[in-house]
Amino acid sequence: MKNTSSILTEKVVNSAINSLRKKKRIELLSFAAIAKELDVGIDELSTFYTTTEDIFLKAQKKDWESLHRYWDKQIKKAKTPGDYMRAFEIFFERFVETLSKDSDLRFELSCYLPACVKFRDKNRIKVKEKFTKLIKRGWPGKDEKVIQRQSELVTVLFYGFIDHVVHIPKNERLKILSDFRNMLNLHLQDRKFF
Amino acid sequence: MNVDVQKKVKIIQKSMDSIRKMDKTVHTISFIQLAHEMEMPLNELTDFFLDVEDIFLNEQKRVTRKIEAHLEKGIKNCKTPNDAKDLMESSVLKMVDLLPDYSDLVYSAIFYLPKCLAERDRTKKYYRQKIRIIIKKGWPGKIDSVLDRQANLVLLSLYGFLDYCVKANKRERKEVLKDFNNMINLHLQDRLFF
Repeated sequence: MKNTSSILTEKVVNSAINSLRKKKRIELLSFAAIAKELDVGIDELSTFYTTTEDIFLKAQKKDWESLHRYWDKQIKKAKTPGDYMRAFEIFFERFVETLSKDSDLRFELSCYLPACVKFRDKNRIKVKEKFTKLIKRGWPGKDEKVIQRQSELVTVLFYGFIDHVVHIPKNERLKILSDFRNMLNLHLQDRKFF
Repeated sequence: MNVDVQKKVKIIQKSMDSIRKMDKTVHTISFIQLAHEMEMPLNELTDFFLDVEDIFLNEQKRVTRKIEAHLEKGIKNCKTPNDAKDLMESSVLKMVDLLPDYSDLVYSAIFYLPKCLAERDRTKKYYRQKIRIIIKKGWPGKIDSVLDRQANLVLLSLYGFLDYCVKANKRERKEVLKDFNNMINLHLQDRLFF
């Protein structure tokens, strides 16, 4: 069950996103307007967030932390190459399934707001490290250099996939996910690549 | 290049340097502040640009115009499948080569500035259309639905690659470019995909 603070923070994020969708300009968002809309005091908002940028940063962190938690569980459970391959695939499935309805705006802000960009860069390294581990164990027998090149390429493609998938309707996301995973699988099985 | 265009390009470059030095988020920078930082009379800036957004839009268009010209000419001169395959590779290379030193700054601002976002959407649609034509010519015999799906995958891969390139140095870009092209080729040759 969600506690009162998480209900409020969720409402704050939704209010900020809705406002941004309408106004198109982040400088037009204000703590006062959000507090008024949610009928809470500015002081109460300030206990959770320092700035409007902070609202989006915390939402971004929350989404990724939850995704990593789920992913780590799958990785921990894996024992065989097949399990690691499955953990690799499950990550993309989970990512698409858990995208919020405002994922387009959240994505755009994560590429623009400095604190969000910083988090995005840091998280990208974390994601790449996990891809490296999964490729090493899911497709064994590759030398270190190949693993590094392939995990870099998979990360590059994954970030393109994010950009694409957040901008298309929900019902089209699973179709492209299936093609995307096939493309990655083919790439990871390929020997000519090296 | 005529004198006005040269001057415009110089102003863009100088603006980007100043914006980086100011270390501020784009939406917090006024035209007056920018002119001051650039040590340039405000009217010299306003002779060429309407506002900060206009500077970024111009820079964005300057790069995409060159890629569009390359694609249009390339498609027109495509006689054989190999010509189309070469065009795919040369276009990706062109995109990477055209990225200026401040491409990370432009890339990030595009996600916030409404006119730049609209231009990004337009360019994306345009690239998709051209990628589809190149796949059709370079890897003939594919049915329409396959062409559509593969064009989407190549497009999203390309945007992932650009996302990587804007922050990578020239050597890193070239390294991933080789693997990227191999992967796209492999994907487009694949029959199991369907």
